[in-house]
Amino acid sequence: MIQVTTSRFGVLEAENEKIINFADGLVGLSNMKRFILIDHRDTPLKWLQSLDDPDIAFIVASPDIIVEGYSIDLDKAVKQHLQLDNDDDLVVLVTMRVQGEDVVANFQGPLLINSRTMRGVQIVLDNPSKTYQKI
Amino acid sequence: MLVLTRKSNESIKLGDDITITVVEIKGNAVRLGIQAPIKLRIYRDELYEKIKMENIMSSNLHLNEIEKITRKLGGK
Repeated sequence: MIQVTTSRFGVLEAENEKIINFADGLVGLSNMKRFILIDHRDTPLKWLQSLDDPDIAFIVASPDIIVEGYSIDLDKAVKQHLQLDNDDDLVVLVTMRVQGEDVVANFQGPLLINSRTMRGVQIVLDNPSKTYQKI
Repeated sequence: MLVLTRKSNESIKLGDDITITVVEIKGNAVRLGIQAPIKLRIYRDELYEKIKMENIMSSNLHLNEIEKITRKLGGK
């Protein structure tokens, strides 16, 4: 059990089994390695709350609720990193933010989580058709 | 920054495990081949910076931004 005092949610307690481990952290935020997922009210959105820096949290969503037909190909290195044996264990999440009047999702840097091993990785897609998309 | 000059087909070694080879030089563009452990992530720098910036901007949402996102996607 780990306890962290966050700016948005106050004191949070997370069971060790619920902690998601990003071994390499996030892109540009390599020290952010441990996170938990928290439901966002009654919505399909969630919060990815950092346990390493309590001020850092992301609103995340499965790409399915934003666009149709979003798919990614995982290379062997990523599958190995996640210890992914079964594609059904894969959870894909994208972060979001606001840009002017639009909500923008980061489809180019999705977060991949193996729900069985609780390992996560952020990958960067070099594919110009998968950039951040206005919703 | 260490600056070295290499010609086509010449290489650079980073430590014991990483080799960068100049595969081809065509006008303004240099094609680089990289041999590295599978675990080492390699990015075009501008892409890396872009995603880093996205992460930083997304990690610090204001209350009204959270409301905006919730309104747009919360009902789906």
